[in-house]
Amino acid sequence: MTKINYLRKISESEKPFIIYKSDKGFDLYTDFSKKIILTNNNIQNFINKATQFKSKRKETDLFIGFFGYEVLNDLIGIKIKKQKSLKFPKGIFYKPETKIKLQNKLDYKNLELINSKKSFKISMNKASYKIIFDKFKKKIKSGETYQIKICTKYSNKSEIDALDFFCRLVKTNMAPEAFMIKDKDYSIISCSPENLITKKNDLITTKPIAGTLKKNKSLNKIKALAFFRKNLKETKEHNMIVDMERSDLSKICKPGSVKILKKKIVEEYKDLYHYVSLIGGQLKNKVTSLDIIKAMMPGGSVIGCPKISTLNLLNKQEKKSRNIYTGSFGYLKFNGDMRFNIIIRSILNFNGKSEISVASGVVIDSNAGHEFNENYIKAKSLMDLYK
Amino acid sequence: MIYIIDHQDSFTHNVVHQFENFDEVFCTNFNKINKKKLKEAEVIVFSPGPGAPKDYPISSKIYKKYKGKKKIIGICLGFQQILHCENGKIIEQKKIYHGFQSKIKVISKNSLFKKNSQFTVGRYHSLKLKEPFAAKNFEITMRCDISNTAMTIENNKEKIYGFQFHPESFLTENGNLLIKKILSA
Repeated sequence: MTKINYLRKISESEKPFIIYKSDKGFDLYTDFSKKIILTNNNIQNFINKATQFKSKRKETDLFIGFFGYEVLNDLIGIKIKKQKSLKFPKGIFYKPETKIKLQNKLDYKNLELINSKKSFKISMNKASYKIIFDKFKKKIKSGETYQIKICTKYSNKSEIDALDFFCRLVKTNMAPEAFMIKDKDYSIISCSPENLITKKNDLITTKPIAGTLKKNKSLNKIKALAFFRKNLKETKEHNMIVDMERSDLSKICKPGSVKILKKKIVEEYKDLYHYVSLIGGQLKNKVTSLDIIKAMMPGGSVIGCPKISTLNLLNKQEKKSRNIYTGSFGYLKFNGDMRFNIIIRSILNFNGKSEISVASGVVIDSNAGHEFNENYIKAKSLMDLYK
Repeated sequence: MIYIIDHQDSFTHNVVHQFENFDEVFCTNFNKINKKKLKEAEVIVFSPGPGAPKDYPISSKIYKKYKGKKKIIGICLGFQQILHCENGKIIEQKKIYHGFQSKIKVISKNSLFKKNSQFTVGRYHSLKLKEPFAAKNFEITMRCDISNTAMTIENNKEKIYGFQFHPESFLTENGNLLIKKILSA
């Protein structure tokens, strides 16, 4: 059986499955023997139990799934007031029994898309965005936050074939942390570029992105680097994230072991350049998986800085639940190793509704109109999939 | 032992690691102070953090209680906290420095650091000290080359030191050296 047929077969079988970008291609996980729906009450227990095994025997000795934004706030003691929500679970993890390696080129098409051509509604218009933006700028002036990311949502009514969407998305926007989940009552598709945690034995790294530049014919990698270096706003935002991630790692790493392994480099993707740093450290001896998750999540680069006061400001402002957006997807291996991304550039399809969330940063020298449009550009590549 | 009071900043643990180069460190949130440990500590460090000194009355109380009895070091908000307790006014500045690298210069011959020496430092501050500022035994010892903003204060008599910039930031060159010298003063 070829792998191409496999995708068609699994889609037709209606079995839940997950696809996650690997180094060389993709890994597909299926035949789930357990499904754990997370709540504020069971999350700690789940994380502790998931990684209590000393060794990992099989490639499927892991839990794979996601933590939503709200449950991650609750985990670090930040309460969110009642928000409008889809009643979507706060997090779901699966225990797979089958793992299949797939190549980078995913061939699957479904031309009979059902009901996916409804136009998108935006959660706030430019005028109300500007009001929030100006409010946060004042908070920056008074020192309550140094950088904050306002989330806007685009939603429509649609039934989608998640696999078809994912295959088309990675064709145009291949990303190192891309993933999709297809379950009976929901699906998630994401081309996240950002790794939040890679933990193997006692080594941990995080790879924040701050700074994105759309490609054009006159640009190359060297010119992109020169652009980021010259651009004071991008540089300052990036610096802030690097120091914040160093600090988050320092909570769980041995003193003196936290190092910037790659400092402010440019990575090239199909349509964009990203300004990226890689920071790593050696974990302290008695650090648990729960300690690691609490130290690193929710990922700082999509929240703002400093994390706690900025989260409080955001949660007071945002009337709609972020759901999966700026949560984390990935896996926890039985032996305690883990890999998690930050869920951005994603579609959540649930109860016949699709939701795309995007955010961009307010720093002292950003401009409301520019950031609002920037959000639209980020959402557009996902909305285009519905055409 | 060094007691670091965390004002819930996202840079505090960089400060912790930096001070751990030199001594044992105990760190808690500003509203979860371990009084026994605080009493035992030889040095108290007020961490950076969001907001303004007036938002942290507990830290002000601790400063007043231990001033002159223990070495006190303030970073960014912590620096402003010390100044606030010394009747300095902390105000918003026109130009805001977040993630900004600046050159600063030692301007006083009474500093632990040599007059006219230069440092490259990382800054994250919305607020600054309103000048003129005067308090007994305190001196502004370093200033920003360009804006002239006060960047350090030293009180070598009562061993109180403050940095408006962030010695623990990766943007600061020789940050460890600065801390080492102040800890051994």
